[in-house]
Amino acid sequence: MLAHTFFFYFFSIISVGSALMVITSRNTVHAVFFLILDFISIGCLFIMIGAEFLGMIMLIVYVGAVAVLFLFVVMMLNVAEQKQSWFRGREKSAHIPVGLIVSIIILAEVLVVVGGWKYKSNFIKTEMLAVDGNLTNTHMLGNVLYTQYIHLFQVAGVILLLAMIGAIVLTYTKRQGVKTQSYFTQLSREKKTSIKLVEVDSNKGVKIDG
Amino acid sequence: MENINLFLPEIFLVLTILATLMIGVFFKNSYNLVTKIVYGILVSLILIILNSFDESFKLFSDSYTSNSFTNFFKILILIGTFFILIITQKFIKENKINNFEYPVVLLLSVLGMFIMISANDLILFYLGLELQSLALYILASLDRNNLKSNEAGLKYFILSALASGLLLYGCSLLYGFTSSTNFDVIGLKANTKNLGAIFAMVFILVGLAFKISAVPFHMWTPDVYEGAPSSVTSFFAVVPKVAGIAVFIRFMQIPFNQLADHWQTILIFISLASMILGAVAAIGQTNIKRLIAYSSIGHIGFALAGISTNSVSGYSSSIVYISIYVVMNLGIFACIFLMKRDGKYCENLKDLSGISKHHPILSISLLIILFSLAGIPPFAGFFAKFYIFMSVIESKMYTLAIMGLLSTVISAFYYLRIIKIIYFDDVNKPFDKFKDLGISTTLLLSSLILATFFVYPSYLNILVKTLIIN
Repeated sequence: MLAHTFFFYFFSIISVGSALMVITSRNTVHAVFFLILDFISIGCLFIMIGAEFLGMIMLIVYVGAVAVLFLFVVMMLNVAEQKQSWFRGREKSAHIPVGLIVSIIILAEVLVVVGGWKYKSNFIKTEMLAVDGNLTNTHMLGNVLYTQYIHLFQVAGVILLLAMIGAIVLTYTKRQGVKTQSYFTQLSREKKTSIKLVEVDSNKGVKIDG
Repeated sequence: MENINLFLPEIFLVLTILATLMIGVFFKNSYNLVTKIVYGILVSLILIILNSFDESFKLFSDSYTSNSFTNFFKILILIGTFFILIITQKFIKENKINNFEYPVVLLLSVLGMFIMISANDLILFYLGLELQSLALYILASLDRNNLKSNEAGLKYFILSALASGLLLYGCSLLYGFTSSTNFDVIGLKANTKNLGAIFAMVFILVGLAFKISAVPFHMWTPDVYEGAPSSVTSFFAVVPKVAGIAVFIRFMQIPFNQLADHWQTILIFISLASMILGAVAAIGQTNIKRLIAYSSIGHIGFALAGISTNSVSGYSSSIVYISIYVVMNLGIFACIFLMKRDGKYCENLKDLSGISKHHPILSISLLIILFSLAGIPPFAGFFAKFYIFMSVIESKMYTLAIMGLLSTVISAFYYLRIIKIIYFDDVNKPFDKFKDLGISTTLLLSSLILATFFVYPSYLNILVKTLIIN
């Protein structure tokens, strides 16, 4: 139990700290790295409460795809140094009042949700979720995904294949006149075909490519 | 253990798609080879489906259904795709869009339509719809060096994604209010007291109406038809409409069975609006592809009029209508692919002026097809409209019948105007001469079917009625 508490605080402190760093760090690339750290520690928290599938998906989708995409965008747009950061910058930003209003609204909504949680048994019937304690989330998902919904799974795969074909058809161009290395011709060259011995007369030279 | 063999057409299609993809990648310039293989695939699929045509069963805990109704539509889709591949082959090569991916993406969209038609479950239906639409977006922007084609693809993508979103919203509401995604269960629970289900039905109808380009969700049609390469336009105008009508009928018959009073009003409005707009807006068009776009909107209106009666004769009449529509559109597109002057394909009406002097056979086939589109006896188009109006009058919807007849008269104007341009206007330069067995056979078959349909007109109707009753 002690270890559990220790790990919980360890990961939550890292996640809250890195979340703060995401919005305060001046260098945008650093911010994205902190975002990745945040996602990873939240993934660990998910695994700790037994939602290991959600944790792994978090790692694969958010860290593996979304955050790396952010990183690419930041590097491509070349906005590494942020000029206006409202903690440290000397100039006042006009966005602060709007941001504050939005965050107050979000805070109020969170409060309403937390307040409503007290009455949850009235409108959410948890007994509908027949959870078997012996099986993990991944097992349970796999049990329906590969049996009852196998055809849907396969059709979704075909849709992804089609998306890939489409991306290739619509963007791939065969460029003309590009010089590429041909290993086969390179290796199959012999002394006979590639070296020509010429006797050079003085003051005349040889014609190259002749 | 369920018998997977019953799922055979779809499994066969997926495996052959993967195989043709590999062949296309490993052979260079493999468009011709892949197209030939795809012909083989389509023909063998028709045979596979015919083999178990009358068997009726449900698979995967009732989420997939197959019976003579779905099989009839699948065969219609396959025939349409087959002939479109044939008539577009030359056009594609000459316009340098002969990637081997074109027939493969076409097959993938056919797979999507198969799944869509056979789906007995909202999730499977949505996946099929998305597979089909995604393939269509790719097809529309296939000619990527052409700005208009890009525009068509983007326009279709954005609007269609919006419609898919609305449809998905309806699906989730329907699941929320009936606590099932299965069509049969929804059909039991979605009754007139279930207000949420009625609300959801409206959203699903909007999404479906967009996919078959019925008014007021038709805005994308003329632009996409004009911008996309003609080969793709011909596919758009024929095959997805068949699938759309099939899905419409399935939705109205099974999940919304008890909500008939509510959807009938909506369908009557949609069908009336489509008929009138299809007739009026096509008058001013000078581009043939745009004209066909408006004419297809009008035809969808007639097909929906049959569905809106909610009777066996109404459903069967709209199935007959859409089958004849396929034949007519294949014919008219075959003509478009024959109209080439100085190495360029013509798209304007004035290019047709006086072609009867140089091309008597092309003009007489166009005459037959256009008369049939206008619904003039004794051609097949007349019988298609005749059955629709019969069923509408049987259900005592006199306003719909009268408005439909009026819009037929208006639309006859622009069809007959093309015939006047062909036969009585100043003689233009002749079209380039080229022989293409595929196009001429398609044109001949189409005009023959349209011209000889009157010999035994009730044959198709009786066939379709037995399908529905099964």
